[in-house]
Amino acid sequence: MKKIVVEGLKYRYPLTQDLALKGISFEIEQGEFVGIIGQNLSGKSTLCQALMGLVPHFYKGGYGGSVLVDGLNVERSEICELAQKVGLVFQNPFTQVSGSKMTVFEELAFGLENLGVARDQMKPRIESAMALLGISRFSQRNPFDLSGGQMQRMAIASVIAMEPEIIVLDEPTSQLDPQGSEEVFQAIQQLSKNGMTVIMVEHKIEKIARYSDRVMLLHQGAIVDFDTPERIFSRDDLADYGIEAPVFARVCRGLGIRNPASGLYPMTLDDAYDQVVNWHE
Amino acid sequence: MKALSLYQDKGTFIHRVDSRSKLLYILAAILIPAVLHGFTVGLVLMALSLFLLVVAKVIRKVIPLVGFSFLILISVVVIQGLFYPGNRHVWFALGGLRFYQEGLVFSAGICVRVLNILCAVSILVLTTRPSDLIESLVRLGLSPHLGYVLSSVLQIIPQMTSTMETITDAQRSRGMETEGSLLVRIKAFLPLIGPVVMNSLVNTRERSLALEVRAFSSRAKKTFLNPPPGGMVNQVLPIVLLLAMVAAVVWRVLQ
Amino acid sequence: MKNSMWSLKLSTSALVLIPAAVGINYIGKLFAGLLKLPLWLDAIGTVLSAMLAGPVVGALCGAINNIIYGLTMDPISFIYALTSIGIGLAVGVMAQKGRINSFTSVIVVGLVAACVATVISTPINIGFWGGQTGNVWGDLVYAAIIAHHFPVWIASLVDEFIVDVPDKIATVIVAYGIFKGLPQKLTILFRHDNQTEQL
Repeated sequence: MKKIVVEGLKYRYPLTQDLALKGISFEIEQGEFVGIIGQNLSGKSTLCQALMGLVPHFYKGGYGGSVLVDGLNVERSEICELAQKVGLVFQNPFTQVSGSKMTVFEELAFGLENLGVARDQMKPRIESAMALLGISRFSQRNPFDLSGGQMQRMAIASVIAMEPEIIVLDEPTSQLDPQGSEEVFQAIQQLSKNGMTVIMVEHKIEKIARYSDRVMLLHQGAIVDFDTPERIFSRDDLADYGIEAPVFARVCRGLGIRNPASGLYPMTLDDAYDQVVNWHE
Repeated sequence: MKALSLYQDKGTFIHRVDSRSKLLYILAAILIPAVLHGFTVGLVLMALSLFLLVVAKVIRKVIPLVGFSFLILISVVVIQGLFYPGNRHVWFALGGLRFYQEGLVFSAGICVRVLNILCAVSILVLTTRPSDLIESLVRLGLSPHLGYVLSSVLQIIPQMTSTMETITDAQRSRGMETEGSLLVRIKAFLPLIGPVVMNSLVNTRERSLALEVRAFSSRAKKTFLNPPPGGMVNQVLPIVLLLAMVAAVVWRVLQ
Repeated sequence: MKNSMWSLKLSTSALVLIPAAVGINYIGKLFAGLLKLPLWLDAIGTVLSAMLAGPVVGALCGAINNIIYGLTMDPISFIYALTSIGIGLAVGVMAQKGRINSFTSVIVVGLVAACVATVISTPINIGFWGGQTGNVWGDLVYAAIIAHHFPVWIASLVDEFIVDVPDKIATVIVAYGIFKGLPQKLTILFRHDNQTEQL
């Protein structure tokens, strides 16, 4: 079932001349894990916000083409409607804290109160979101008293509590330390296993290669390629787009080891291990 | 990070009374003495407020609150005692200065009024959690958006204050002069205030985006995580207070 | 659809601006105290928010500033919310009409703000304190004036005015300085006339 359908999406921010998105088209299935990669200013964040309606409704500017999210046309829907279908998590854990609630539990209720969810439904939703993200033990703490990784997980939980079926994450671990990053990736992987459609922008290529069903490569506001990680990272022109392949793929490329079945370079440690072992035999 | 609040958690009966009643009490404390002239009414109400503050075990915390106004009240007593336009009868003299009865009586009236209001407001401020107060206001009809703004101010101010302390220390260690002539001090103002201000403003865009993602602009009827405050007292008390105010007005009209 | 400057429908950005502006008010007041400047400087945020987003936001910022200050420090602030609201409205209207564009105009706006503050605060001062303002220098002037048998309202007005003029002019100057230094990407968020264009 097609969860997201984007056709000819164009966007120009106010006060600028150039298009940030130059006519993008793609489809995403339910339950897919899509990684988005590209240099800075390639349009990744803009695309994330376009899936949520922030582009164009928050910024205004110039908009063309269409984005259909679970049947809703983004341009003709309001952000609050879309918030029940799609969740968006940003880089900075600190600015995603609402600032009006004194405990983590209440913080998660914020979105639910805005949506007018009935009180007896709030508690179960919040508790399951906290459990999913592993932050139940912080339930009564002040949101600002958490570490970066914990705050980011709280941001994800706040979005999950609103029960969207799609979650978009825009560089969720850029401002976190290694431990925090790992905690967040584990959580995202769990969400994906539970059937959520996940779209993640990341610079940590190894993670993208490991978790994604498909990877979208963006460059200067246009899609260069949208395919499985193996095909994308086996491309010879990645450097032109400011991307480096995952380390295992690079090693295997250097050694000339390909997966004989697909003719592509291995992406993960396990695959590479298998191929190196085979190569030696 | 401790949010900005004077709330004292003492668990008394007064703490359990909801904000609506306390707000009505403040209104009554202002209205009734204004409608019924005379010292006695103001003094009685002030005594009542002080009594309630003792019951709520927060009486000691009233002192800093009153402290703000204390100096002004002293200056009012002095200046009115000396110069009040209606001064006729000298009450006493102090080192060549003559203090008049009319002025002192007038300033006493001001003191009673100010202290009365301060005590009534203290009951609200010292025995109610700000978040509960704001939630009560939203239940009474305040826009939830404004309720959000009020709540977030309480958390943002301690954060900005602590950032300010960090920046002040940093700037001082870079050799910035913060003491000396007026010009030196004026010159220090902008470099100190600049970074904190910029930081808080730049974040507004990201904050707004994050709020939108949490359906902040939704026009659905907002619900509350917490159940509404119930209880007999909270039903009866507002009515009692309203009746008291009406009674005062009626009494005055009939005089 | 253009929103008029009096629209009560506030964007999320405007609502997020208000706490930041109230915070700036606090910081201004703290720094003025720290540096022992003879000014209050407790309305920089209110004036700045009025310049950025218009009279409604400026007025709200002023009101909320006094409400929060009243709840957390000094209950008497509640009453003077009216003054803060007046300042926010005055500066907001002048900003939206494009009147704030040069150093001289900034001084003028400061003066207007001082007048508005005086006109609103004086009745409050008279009704509440008998005409004084709580500022040492101003109250001394007040005492001198009524000692010479001038009416109370004149004494009170002058007291408030001489305290407000330097303070409000300095406040508007600082707020304008900050306003000019903000990136356009930020200031555009608060404008009322944005539209989505079709491509």
